[in-house]
Amino acid sequence: MTASRNIYQCIKAEITEVIDESPTIKSFVLRPEREFEFKTGQFVELTLDGFGEAPFTPSSSPLEKEEIQITVMRAGYVTEKIHQLKPGVIMGIRGPYGRGYPLDKFFDKEVLVLGGGCGFAPLRSLLYNLKAEEDKIKKLVFCYGSKTPAECIYKPYINELRQVKKFEVYRSVDRPDETWTEEVGVVTNLLDKIAINVDDSVAVVCGPPVMMKFGTLKLLEMGYPEDNIYLSMEKNMSCGLGKCGHCMMGKYFVCKDGPVFSYDEVKDQPDIWQ
Amino acid sequence: MSKIVKLSQENWSDLLTGMAKDYHIYAPIQYSNQQDYELLNEYNIKDIVYNHPKPATPLKTFLLPIKQNLVKDNRFKPSVILGIPACDLSAVNILSEIYLDKDFKDSAYEHRLENYIFIGSDCYSMQEHCHCTSYGFKPYPTENADIVLSRLDSTVFLQSLTPKGDKLIGLIESKVALVKALEEEINQINDKRERITHQLIEKNKDIPDYTKTGELIKQAKEEIWKRYADTCVSCGACATICPTCTCFLLIDRPGFEKVRQLDACQLPAFAHVAAGEDPLHELHVRFKNRYMCKYVWKPEKFDSVACTGCGRCIEACIGKINKNELFVELNRED
Ligand SMILES: Cc1cc2nc3c(=O)[nH]c(=O)nc-3n(C[C@H](O)[C@H](O)[C@H](O)COP(=O)(O)OP(=O)(O)OC[C@H]3O[C@@H](n4cnc5c(N)ncnc54)[C@H](O)[C@@H]3O)c2cc1C
Ligand code: SF4
Ligand code: SF4
Ligand code: FES
Repeated sequence: MTASRNIYQCIKAEITEVIDESPTIKSFVLRPEREFEFKTGQFVELTLDGFGEAPFTPSSSPLEKEEIQITVMRAGYVTEKIHQLKPGVIMGIRGPYGRGYPLDKFFDKEVLVLGGGCGFAPLRSLLYNLKAEEDKIKKLVFCYGSKTPAECIYKPYINELRQVKKFEVYRSVDRPDETWTEEVGVVTNLLDKIAINVDDSVAVVCGPPVMMKFGTLKLLEMGYPEDNIYLSMEKNMSCGLGKCGHCMMGKYFVCKDGPVFSYDEVKDQPDIWQ
Repeated sequence: MSKIVKLSQENWSDLLTGMAKDYHIYAPIQYSNQQDYELLNEYNIKDIVYNHPKPATPLKTFLLPIKQNLVKDNRFKPSVILGIPACDLSAVNILSEIYLDKDFKDSAYEHRLENYIFIGSDCYSMQEHCHCTSYGFKPYPTENADIVLSRLDSTVFLQSLTPKGDKLIGLIESKVALVKALEEEINQINDKRERITHQLIEKNKDIPDYTKTGELIKQAKEEIWKRYADTCVSCGACATICPTCTCFLLIDRPGFEKVRQLDACQLPAFAHVAAGEDPLHELHVRFKNRYMCKYVWKPEKFDSVACTGCGRCIEACIGKINKNELFVELNRED
């Protein structure tokens, strides 16, 4: 092979900590062998040596370069195995890949962030980033939903977010228990309760497909222009490099042209909610 | 245009016999009912088929092997591929757009492309499903060949198109005398080329062109996809054999090695995600996907044409599905 960088080569990263977030979700703190930079919303391919790899969006702050955090929901072959890993294991990382959130378009705006389930992972990285740039945005409203209180992730971090002056945080669960004091119902219901100036706002949606679909429809109903709604699309992926074809969504390679798209860019492509 | 040189068939065969000892040379060899590339040795050189339409295997297999370890160093000796039809050479355009993409250059692909010498050859006949002219291609090499080989009776004509081709012709010249082709011989070759081009156009006159095909596919109703997909068994042969289909899956090997293995959107679960969604779950949607990809989406994204009209997908289909019948039907209804 030629001397140029091999795009399929991983850099090694050691797991330094494993955090239980919910019965099905764990966060892994990884220390890459060299500094690792990414933009919020970009993703990496995480390899379990000799076993398999899968795409994940780092959930840590992009300003932190020595360690990255990846939040993994147990969902299948690779994620099941990753959940069994302990600190000390060396993993492989390829990336960062794709187009992240266009932060410059968020500046001087009211930012509405709508998240569901494990969709909080990429959003946490965005929230860290916007917290650091707090003076550049007008305000931020974060609406988060999950099925049950036990499935609400990043509990300590929620309190941290609530301390940020320009941030407002609302949470809702489908099925509450006796400890739950916040909203009940689907996450889109929260949108009826918030105060936001739609004409001066951009919205970000990330979560399971059904939630993305109904969330987007609701935002459109509220009057958000199609090009001010940003979606993080999830498709089957293998290479992350715009070659293997697995992530194709119409003319787009989601891995390279996305994963973040404005609704306007993807609305005419087939099966965007599948 | 560089000059065309000639030598006798006998000298050419002797030359190949000598060269096959030092180099890897692949050429189409005739079997009972088909022809395919074989590594040349002193025994099979006499069975090479010249100026015949496509070998069974597409050229892409040399550039993107069915399985290749992309992390282990897999350098290999420069090799020559002889007798490549124009359609397969043109298919390299779309492969290179994808694999040599400036953001992520695939060095394994690049290494192979650099180390192969391509000797293309004119087609002087056609097979049942050849339709290169429908999509604007010629049945003789115009691009991506280092040398073009043509034949008249027992004379072989060679024309270099690239510096790599010049070098090889220089090497040949050091072993055997090459003579400049006569004007009337060149005219005869051109006549043969013209004749086959017209035959192809005439035979395929009902097949819509590339752009029109894209428009027809976009508008086609679900009913017709269901009807044509009825005998599809999702074997993926159409994509595997296609010179322009290059989807793959990365497989992990210990040591953080990655193996690139050819994959196909026609295989079930190609687009399945862990949460359960699969946009290509239904057979007719999956079947349509391959055509949308080739005639609608690739043209929106890339400059190169994503179907060369080689006809292999039609020949390979065990469901006996003929995409051209589908397109002709769509065109008729339009
Ligand atoms: C851009 C992007 C970012 C993501 N970020 C996160 C995250 O931060 N946290 C998280 O928990 N999950 C995330 N996912 C989903 C995660 O990649 C899948 O859950 C994971 O691939 C499932 O792998 P598996 O082997 O366990 O599942 P299986 O169903 O056994 O899948 C086998 C293989 O298919 C592919 N595959 C299956 N499902 C998906 C999928 N949803 N997306 C892409 N490829 C898939 C993978 O290559 C996987 O190894 C993200 C997906 C994408 C596309
Ligand atoms: S789609 Fe069929 S005719 Fe077109 S290049 Fe592929 S195999 Fe050949
Ligand atoms: S070759 Fe025929 S049967 Fe096989 S996947 Fe393609 S269309 Fe279906
Ligand atoms: S994941 Fe391979 S092309 Fe997008």
